[in-house]
Amino acid sequence: MFLARIEGTVVAAVKHPTLDGCRFLVAQRLEADGSAAAEPIAVVDWLGAARGATVMVSTDGDIAREKLGNTTPARMVVVGIVDSVQSPGNMAGGIA
Amino acid sequence: MRLGIVRGHLTLTPAVESYRGRTLVVLEPVTMENLRAKNGLGGGKSLIAIDELGAAKGQMVAFTEGREAANPFWPGSVPVDAYCSLIVDSIDVR
Repeated sequence: MFLARIEGTVVAAVKHPTLDGCRFLVAQRLEADGSAAAEPIAVVDWLGAARGATVMVSTDGDIAREKLGNTTPARMVVVGIVDSVQSPGNMAGGIA
Repeated sequence: MRLGIVRGHLTLTPAVESYRGRTLVVLEPVTMENLRAKNGLGGGKSLIAIDELGAAKGQMVAFTEGREAANPFWPGSVPVDAYCSLIVDSIDVR
């Protein structure tokens, strides 16, 4: 699991059938020093995370398989929206 | 899932049985900098993924890596590292 900042939304008409109706967001993984990873990720969101929010992402596909079926390729899922982080390095990049 | 731009297609002859009839695409992962700039560039280290959606050259896809990439073939087993999960129509980032 790691923290990520929501950067925007993804629109996709053509997708794996199990992903129909899913909300996809573009997020940037946050490092311990507050910097962000170079490559963004697309995550599934069922919690309604807004742009700019810091979220926790799980890379375990179990939650996705539970909701979308065994054949879903979904893996990265928003499992929570961060209120605060107490860390010397300030992983949330300024929100803690 | 990471985001990648389809740079080409790949055929294998011969290949393992479970790859018969599969489409393989060469993907170039997109960095946040290039995504924001909307310049059509990738910037990441390229990789190969299975595509069942019919992504064309130049299109952006989101691809799954790891064990979950093989889920679409469940309960069969296909040796797959990356799988194209969706074709991106548009991305709204600022």
